[in-house]
Formats: sequence, C-alpha cells, structure tokens
Amino acid sequence: MDDILDEVVSSEDLQKFEKVFHEQLHQGKVTPKAQFEYAWCLVRSKYPTDIRKGILLLKELFHSHTDGKRDYLFYLAIGNARIKEYNKASHYVKTFLEIEPANQQVLALERQINKRMEKEGLIGMAVAGGAVLALGGLVGLGIALASSKK
Amino acid sequence: MDYVTTLKILVIGESGVGKSSIILAFTTGDYNASFPATIGVDYKCKVMEVNGLKVKLGIWDTAGQERYRTLTNSFYRDAHGAILVYDVSEPKTLAKLNEWVEELQVYSTKKNIVCLVVGNKIDKPRAVPREAGQAFAMKHRMLFIESSAKTQEGINLAFEELVQKIIETPGLWESTGSSSNIRVSNEERRKQEESSCYDYTCTI
Repeated sequence: MDDILDEVVSSEDLQKFEKVFHEQLHQGKVTPKAQFEYAWCLVRSKYPTDIRKGILLLKELFHSHTDGKRDYLFYLAIGNARIKEYNKASHYVKTFLEIEPANQQVLALERQINKRMEKEGLIGMAVAGGAVLALGGLVGLGIALASSKK
Repeated sequence: MDYVTTLKILVIGESGVGKSSIILAFTTGDYNASFPATIGVDYKCKVMEVNGLKVKLGIWDTAGQERYRTLTNSFYRDAHGAILVYDVSEPKTLAKLNEWVEELQVYSTKKNIVCLVVGNKIDKPRAVPREAGQAFAMKHRMLFIESSAKTQEGINLAFEELVQKIIETPGLWESTGSSSNIRVSNEERRKQEESSCYDYTCTI
C-alpha cells in the first residue's frame, strides 16, 4: 500500500457501524456520530455502490452539522477519488485548502489525486473519445432516419 | 521491490502531542509550527536500512481526538510496532498514555508487538522529568526516548531503535517476496501466527 487511497475497510468494521446506524435509523433518530462512522466505513469500501452511499451520507452531514465540516470535506474528497470522480475530489480538496491552506494531510491527498489523474488520464480520454464516436453514430442514424421519412 | 519486509508501525497518543510532526520530521525532515488536528487516520511510508537490511515502514498516524477513538482501534490489527507519544511540557499527556496502553492491549493482534514511548517537545520548557517517562516505559516493558520534532533531535533514533527491536524479535515479522529463500504458504503462516511458539527465525 502506497497511499491512503489504497486503504480498504475491513468487513467487520463496516458491519459493526452499519448495525449501529440501522438501529438508530429504525428508532427514528440518527446521531451525526453514527452517521459519520458508517459513512467513514462506506467511502473506504471496495465496492463503488458503498462509496456512493457514503458520499450521500457525508453530503447530508455537511449541510446539517457544522461541527465536523473538515472531516466531512476530507472524506468526501477520499470517496470521490476512490470512484475516480477526480474533478469532484479536487473540488472538495480545494474547498478544504481555502480554509486550511497549509494542511499537510490534505496537500498530500491533493498530490495523490493529481498522480492518479495523470496515470489514468489516457484511459479517461479514450472513454470520452469512444462516447463521442457513439454519439456521432446516433446523430448520423437520426439524420438517416429523418431523411428516409421524407 | 528491494526491501526484505514491510512493517506496520502505529503512532498513538493524546491530541496535540506531536504525532504527525514526528512522522513528518522522520519522513521529510520538515517541521510545521501550526499543525492542524489529523483527520481520521493518515498513512506515510518510508524505506529505511537497519542492520544492513532494507525494510519498508508503513506508518499509521491516528487522530488523537476523542471522537475518533472508536474508529481508529481497527488500525491496531497486525501492527508490528507502536509508538506512544506524550508531550514533556504537558504532564497530563503522560498520565493519559495509560488509556492508550489499554487500547493497545485490547486491539493489537500480535502478541509480541514492540512498543516505544516517546516524550516529545523537549525544545519546550519541561514539565515532566525524563525519569517519569522512563519509569512509565519500564513499567510496561517498552522502549523509551525523548525527542523534538522541531529540532529533529531523537527522531531518527526513535525509529531506528523501534525497527531494530522488531527485526530482532523472532516470529514478529516475515520476509516478503523473492528475497526470501523459504516459501511459507498463507495457511502455514496463519498457523504460525496463531501458535504461541515464536521459536522459528526467518532466513534471508
């Protein structure tokens, strides 16, 4: 393991904090602590669906609970970087650095995100290129259909 | 990969004693006067040479803040070494180390994990005598050192002593990859870890 983005939650931890969260949810009152702990596990999961769920929970906390804003921002960046939403991850990192410009932990995360963006940049472009080709094909088909109706 | 093993090192202690500063000083030689509280858990790695062996250290920096206590204890798992930090200018941070020792006893999984007590911030006016830290370490059979992340004093020595002791502890670590001339399957490895016998030594 080379950096914090490689770190994966243990299934025991995920289950433990999931249980607490669901119990509170069932009782109709979820504390910010339980929600954060569950979200913190989710964004470190190896499954993108878990990570996305974690991001939603963190966003909700960010808007409703002022105390832990720096924690929420940090893990929003981690979660987004782990599902390769690098632009969103960078946005959260930049927002954080506006408040704490010299934060070593966040500066290191920014470097890791940039490194991954560079490394995966070509692949990203290839995917985008493919989408453009597919779109072009559809437009072409549309034109062909429209002209055939005449 | 030109190192013989990867060691997991855990850094724990109260909020504000300088855990992240010690790690920054060790990994980069830098110092930052205003260090904000660590969020959750941070990770840094560094390759160092001890007894002519290159080892990779994976250093886990845990948040000292109380609200992270329930989250950070899962990081104790499989740690080969632990650094317990207090601040020599704040006596209560040494007293509080008792709680961290308890956490370590509950959550660490390797029975012969090597522990080092570090009295940090010796550049500041001292409120804890060296002997008090030494006595604490001795009582818990841990190594002891005083340091200053600001002046770098004791920083490298702290990691060297800890890693040296880990390397000298038979059965605590295993060599990784091609540099080992013995192959141990995961199953055998697990059995060895579970047994209380640590007689075998690694041949490199």
